[in-house]
Amino acid sequence: MKNGRSFWDQLTSILYPVAFGVLIVTLWQTGVLHAILGADTFILPLPGRIFDIIQDNQALIMTNVQATLIVALGGLLLGSLVGYLLGVLAAVFSKWGKGGLTLASAFNAIPIIAIAPILNNLTKDFSSDANIRSMFAKILVVTITSTVAMSVNAYRGLTELKPFSLDLMKSYAATERQIFFKLRLPNSVPYIFTALRVSVPGSVISALVSEYFAEYIIGVGRQIRENIVLAQYATAWAYITVACLMGILMYVVLLIFESILLKGRR
Amino acid sequence: MKGINFKKFFASPRWVTVAWVVGLIVVWEIGATVVAGVKRTPENVLPHLYQIIGSVFSTQKANSTQTAIQIVLANAWVTLARAGIGFVIGAFAGFVLALLMSLFSAVEKMIFPYLMIIQMIPILGMAPIVLAITKDIDKSRIVIAAILTFYPVATNTLSGFKSVEREKRELMYSYAANRYEVYRKLLIPSSLPYLFTGLKIAAPMAITASILVDTLQGGGGLGCMMSQSLKHAMTIYVFWQIVFLSAIIGILSYQLMAWLEKLVSPNQRGEGAATTAKEQMQ
Repeated sequence: MKNGRSFWDQLTSILYPVAFGVLIVTLWQTGVLHAILGADTFILPLPGRIFDIIQDNQALIMTNVQATLIVALGGLLLGSLVGYLLGVLAAVFSKWGKGGLTLASAFNAIPIIAIAPILNNLTKDFSSDANIRSMFAKILVVTITSTVAMSVNAYRGLTELKPFSLDLMKSYAATERQIFFKLRLPNSVPYIFTALRVSVPGSVISALVSEYFAEYIIGVGRQIRENIVLAQYATAWAYITVACLMGILMYVVLLIFESILLKGRR
Repeated sequence: MKGINFKKFFASPRWVTVAWVVGLIVVWEIGATVVAGVKRTPENVLPHLYQIIGSVFSTQKANSTQTAIQIVLANAWVTLARAGIGFVIGAFAGFVLALLMSLFSAVEKMIFPYLMIIQMIPILGMAPIVLAITKDIDKSRIVIAAILTFYPVATNTLSGFKSVEREKRELMYSYAANRYEVYRKLLIPSSLPYLFTGLKIAAPMAITASILVDTLQGGGGLGCMMSQSLKHAMTIYVFWQIVFLSAIIGILSYQLMAWLEKLVSPNQRGEGAATTAKEQMQ
């Protein structure tokens, strides 16, 4: 009996969301959704048409996806590295570090929109090629947005140790260096993933927004905007779909990495 | 003697923060000095802080009728009011959905996976399309701010409902409390710290969203003034004032939520609750 119920439970937890998704897509395809939102098929094209456009423009879309991915991943990598190093510094010089991190989390509340144009202006001299210099500016925006989450979490991972583990290490007469590499560093690994779960979706969003302000017209985010300016809503929707897929895929990749690396730790 | 005072001065965490701020100002000024030496129009790249502050108090008109700071403040109001309305609508909808998901497990099963997916969707990237659908910049500001507020509030509140210990629920059951009483007296109060965690995440996001939507159309608002200033339609200091203002507003909105939380639930202040909320959310 109990077995049967848990099977039913599992079945419904797959069946319900799928049914909900099918319902939405059906409403969309049959035009009911348009009636509710008061939109026409020009502004809100049917799902079939969006997928046709994605298929027809594969090559062009891929170049833009590539540009956005370089920005998102480059910034994510750079920001996470810098963030982790800041976390380590904060853990080593705890008194000063903590104040710095408080300030860093305050920076988290600063809108990306305020940062993007500043960095655009700052990097004007970086290269004579508009593509490269605006790429650099965009990566910097993503770097800044993903640094904060990582530094705060790394600091927590390096300092919030299991009770008595520090005492145990001290009783072994372990040096600070040994404590760092054998206790603090491994302890911080799950926290790195906590930070990444925030900053991976964040990096895609920052990349898209920074493209809005970039000098050189490339990237998924910019294409959404450009196509709407040209009133090509169906193409814009194709890029929106691609952007969503990018965000979801990156998150899934992160989850896979996490489940491999943290196997048996949680 | 002097050395001891010096140590005491830096002992309190507040002074450490102040020292960091001073350090940042110094770094900014060094950068500004370097830029001033190299660039032809340094104010476009990195002006001195005193120049920005000076521009706030300047009486010189930036357009035909207003000074720079008057323009900024007038447009800030437009942006903030819309962000605020969207924020309230989104927070309310998020709370109601969390309540529904906690009441009916079928609803939770149906919606929760999509709530997770929606977090990975760059909503800000969809801003232009929302503008196209609503055909009105005010409405789209409200809609985007509401969507962005909606999911952190919904997910955090739901994990708040779930965090209530089984024993407490069983105790309520043994009192023969009905569903309404259980929610009214146990679940909703204990979900409050989680709700506020969601609100704190959402508040700066709602403002970012509202400013971004401004840049899409020339209908006033901070983002609109920002892009005009960047295109040199008016003095560049309007841009710098907006940068600082939006940073301040972002931080203040977070503080406002923290303050509201203290007002609503002065006894339970949960840094711990907040972290568990985040962990459960993931």
